[in-house]
Amino acid sequence: MYDDENYDDGFDEEALAARINLDLWKKLFAYARRYPTELKWLATCAFFTALMEVAYPLLTKGVVDAVDGHLKHGTDPQLWVWGLGYLVCTIIICFSIGGFIWMAGKIRTHISHDIREDGFHNLQRLSFSFYDYRPVGWLMARMTSDSERLSNILAWGFLDLVWGFTMMIGIAIAMFVMDWKLALVVFSILPFLAWISARFQRRILKSARMVRATNSRITGSFNEAIMGVLTSKSFVREDANQQEFSTLTNKMHGASVTNLRHAAVYLPLVITMASLATGLALAVGGMDMIAGTMAVSTLIAFMAYTRHFFDPIEQLGHWFAEMQMAQASAERILSLIEAEPAIKDSPEVEAAMAIQAQRQDESRQFAADGGAAAIHDIELANVSFAYDPAKPVLDNINLKVQRGETIAIVGPTGGGKSTLVNVICRFYEPTGGQLLIDGLDYRNRSLHWLQSNIGMVLQNAHVFSGSIMENIRYGRLDASDAEVIEAAKIAGAHDFITAFPQGYASDAGESGSRLSAGQKQLVSFARAVLADPQILVMDEATSSVDTETEQRIQEGMQRVLAGRIAFVIAHRLSTIRGAHRIIVIEEGRIKEQGSHAELMAARGHYFDLYRQQSLQEASRDLLDDPQPAS
Amino acid sequence: MNTTVVDNTDTTNTNYGGLWRITQGERVRYLVAIVAMAFTNLCMFGAPIIGGHAIDVINKEDFSYGHSTLLWLTENLTGELSYTGYIWLSAAASLVITAVGGVFLYVRGRMAAQASENIARRVREALYKRLHHVQAQFYDTADTGDLVQRCSSDVETLRVFLVSDVIEIGRAIMLILCVMPILFSIHVELAMWSLCMMPFLVVGAYIFFSKVKQAFQVTDESEGAMTATLQENLTGIRVVRAFARQAHEIERFGTKNADFRNKNFHLMKLMAYYWSISDFFSMSQLGIVLLAGGYFALQGSLTVGDLFIFMTCASIVIWPVRQLGRVLTDTGKAVISLGRVNHILEEPEEPVRYAPASGRAAGHIQAETLNFAYADGEPVLRDLSIDIPAGETLAIVGPPGSGKTSFVRALLRLYPYQSGSLKLDGTEVADLDRFWLRAQVGVVLQDPFLYSRSIGDNLAVGRPQAPHADIVRACQEAAIHGAIESFPAGFEEMVGERGVTLSGGQRQRLALARALLKDPPVLVLDDSLSAVDTGTEQLILSALKARKGRQTTLIIAHRLSSVMHADRIMVLDNGRCVQLGTHEELAAQPGCYRRLCEIQGALDEQIAQDLADSRGGESH
Repeated sequence: MYDDENYDDGFDEEALAARINLDLWKKLFAYARRYPTELKWLATCAFFTALMEVAYPLLTKGVVDAVDGHLKHGTDPQLWVWGLGYLVCTIIICFSIGGFIWMAGKIRTHISHDIREDGFHNLQRLSFSFYDYRPVGWLMARMTSDSERLSNILAWGFLDLVWGFTMMIGIAIAMFVMDWKLALVVFSILPFLAWISARFQRRILKSARMVRATNSRITGSFNEAIMGVLTSKSFVREDANQQEFSTLTNKMHGASVTNLRHAAVYLPLVITMASLATGLALAVGGMDMIAGTMAVSTLIAFMAYTRHFFDPIEQLGHWFAEMQMAQASAERILSLIEAEPAIKDSPEVEAAMAIQAQRQDESRQFAADGGAAAIHDIELANVSFAYDPAKPVLDNINLKVQRGETIAIVGPTGGGKSTLVNVICRFYEPTGGQLLIDGLDYRNRSLHWLQSNIGMVLQNAHVFSGSIMENIRYGRLDASDAEVIEAAKIAGAHDFITAFPQGYASDAGESGSRLSAGQKQLVSFARAVLADPQILVMDEATSSVDTETEQRIQEGMQRVLAGRIAFVIAHRLSTIRGAHRIIVIEEGRIKEQGSHAELMAARGHYFDLYRQQSLQEASRDLLDDPQPAS
Repeated sequence: MNTTVVDNTDTTNTNYGGLWRITQGERVRYLVAIVAMAFTNLCMFGAPIIGGHAIDVINKEDFSYGHSTLLWLTENLTGELSYTGYIWLSAAASLVITAVGGVFLYVRGRMAAQASENIARRVREALYKRLHHVQAQFYDTADTGDLVQRCSSDVETLRVFLVSDVIEIGRAIMLILCVMPILFSIHVELAMWSLCMMPFLVVGAYIFFSKVKQAFQVTDESEGAMTATLQENLTGIRVVRAFARQAHEIERFGTKNADFRNKNFHLMKLMAYYWSISDFFSMSQLGIVLLAGGYFALQGSLTVGDLFIFMTCASIVIWPVRQLGRVLTDTGKAVISLGRVNHILEEPEEPVRYAPASGRAAGHIQAETLNFAYADGEPVLRDLSIDIPAGETLAIVGPPGSGKTSFVRALLRLYPYQSGSLKLDGTEVADLDRFWLRAQVGVVLQDPFLYSRSIGDNLAVGRPQAPHADIVRACQEAAIHGAIESFPAGFEEMVGERGVTLSGGQRQRLALARALLKDPPVLVLDDSLSAVDTGTEQLILSALKARKGRQTTLIIAHRLSSVMHADRIMVLDNGRCVQLGTHEELAAQPGCYRRLCEIQGALDEQIAQDLADSRGGESH
């Protein structure tokens, strides 16, 4: 279970909430400006809503004047005029309210959609190095709750800004026109209220954040309790877990009560402040009435205004605090949308692609970037790679691979095998040296072209929700059912798929939860077979497949590897032996390379590895040396 | 998209009585909250009443319109009955009465918060406890996502209901109850006019929110679909890139994203209609009060101050009343959530039968004509009989689904077996205290579960407060010590998103170290070295061999190298023990085991050949 509060991503909530960063909000407001018509209507509706709210006490004043005038001086009250005015105001305000909800609703839903869309677009472009330090949960939080939160601020905050200022200015004008002295008295309360609002709203939001953080830890605990129930049971962890959970629920209890208590203090404070204003209006206004300088209707209108005058302050205080608290979210989401991929097509490649797009090329000899479509060889020339310059992961790798060659990559865990294939696929670019495709640095070719010519089968085979058929078809979207089935047969997946009641239509389950690890690997292999790529990479691709099935797919595997440039990372000897060339990678360097026979003869690393893998040799070790060697 | 597993159609839990029952223990707090609320309301109406009287006194210049208590106070405090004194006293009184109301408001909020949070905590802890103590078969069909949702969002729905909705309903009812006598005592006819729209507002809101429930649900589902697509894309990003399917993914997500936007916007449109209509009625209600009040004032049956009281009171009441309709529909939601929560809480716990047992078991396991089947399926173990003396290493092999793991589950009493007997040290497993039994068995699973805490804490699960030397030894035996030392924070390194990502093999080895640290009389490795490379596997097996005699060991594995050195090997097929014997014996018999040997054998021959060739090459 992911939550920002318990994860350090370099965005300091406290520091970012210290003051409002207007540049940041200007950038975000650009999203709202994509809907200029709606914004105009939103402002108009908000304006009229506020205006009508200012008008109502004046109508009351009118009625009271009429009644009072009639009672005291016998004038014609003409109540129907005020009734009509009231009706008109009510109709206007109802349309305005409907209108602003509609417009704010449109802007809010569209902004959050647009933010997600931009984010998603960029996520599809960003290099793996970005994903390396951003867990999936972090990305999900940006794309879901943050985008909703920000769009809420942009739409409703904007609405309340227009409404609040209109209303405050409207009421202020009305009050000053009616009696400027009394207005000043009422206004003297204002700064205190604004101060209390901003302060308390912030405290409320802050403690709400604490509640959220604790809540997500509780959800995480439930998740862990359910996922790990067998482990907990078998280690008799029930009581220990319950105790740990209790500290969490106590924390939650404390945080929630604190949060609710802040709210419970805030509301009475505001109400009392408002009644102070009303009381002052009554007392000072009443004195004026006795002196005969004020009408009863004016006093009533004043007292009505003081009741509503503080609503906008409260609302604006709320949005001010919310904007402060949401700045970390805003920074995070902008960092996602504005991140530039570390690996992308150079301007030259983009220009070449534009030219090629105009050309009517039916021959398929040329790729989208105007280069040759076919790949004859790949050469790694002094390739080095490091995340951290002090710790090179790949160090000066030289390797040339022709089409039709299968290269097996072996070596200990962490030696750089996976990084090597990631560099070949251009998921990472070499930090030193060059990778040449048919003699041309691959940075001069289109990224999309290269990657659409790569098929990759990974150890942690990822299966999407949807049918098995769809999952395999992911390799080539226009493949027919027959082609999919053919690919599954080659990959050795056909038998187990047809054993399911619904065969290829069976649901692979959410992230393949209904398939075993080995079955997922076979589906993923079938996908690569179907893709028919020029470069095939298999990274421990059949590690979870059982021995018998593995034997069966050997032949299919040979057929699939033939005619391509293939890189195979494997532990299984049977897979390695068939390769044309074997490279042994250790600590980022190629320690040895050559054919199986050559390397065996060399009596080096590979020989040791092979010997160790050999069952007989290993069992001899076991019998000779009963002590753990580590 | 939610596969609702725990049945909700049963309505025994879904009634309003359940809501009453969970407030048990907190009812005094709620009572205090409600009483405080009543006082708050009285105070809130107090201010306009005081104001209304003051207005009349000044406007009519007649003290007979004044409030009797305030008149008395004015006379006694200032020594004379003056307009100035009365007005200032009224202003002060309305401030004081509002402040007092504010204190009651605080008490109300405080009590409601305490009560609802206490209930929420109790429900959470009960859920957590129940989830740990239910029978394992509960999880066979349960969907994790659904369960987590019940424990998080359903509890949250309940909590929000308890903290604000209960109070909100109470407040609206109390307001009406308080305002009615006040208004009726001033002017009966106008009081009736003042409340005439209220029932329509409540009923209208209730009908509206019941009708749009569907739209809410559709929107939630659409959001769920969008989130799921996003999550899939992000977790499968390597596949997306490897096949250069970015455009396809953008389109797929774009559809879901737009669908959610449209449904959400549709919901907002419904809200726009609702609020503008509802506001029309509310404003009309206030308009009626104003005009009817004006009319009565003209007739002389009402004073201007009374009109002020009516206007203010009506506008205080109308907002909570308008909310009432929405809140009532939320009550429906809370009842449903409570039902979903109760379904977990009513799930039966594991049976507690036990024979007294203490100390450390010897580790002697006997199965006799053991039959085992899952709740609704074929038998997975059929007439299985085997005697495993203490200290023996028994390997279990067999094709997937042959019952290997089920045997372990029966041994741990995670699932009940149907007939036959399964004994540990001569006592029927079903009769043993389950906690003691499980403390005797250390299990390592193929896909082991690690807690998202530090490596050291994960190991401590095996044996809390183990001396560091023991921890190190267990890690060395499991061949994971070197890897742990290489992490930046060593044993303090967090497992999972906030720390290192362990490889499958590392997870298995860490789980093994955890089980070894537990030092149980029975150790079970359930295909738990599958992701460990063969070299490391041999190191681990030799370490286990060195521990021989300390525990009975069951090794379930596919690899011949893992099983061949066991004391005996049991071959399971379709729930039956089809072969039992040493490696040499079984390799000589026709059958599944020999086939396995042959596959490996062919490979071995090849290797031997290769080695011979290369030795030959060397001698040239």
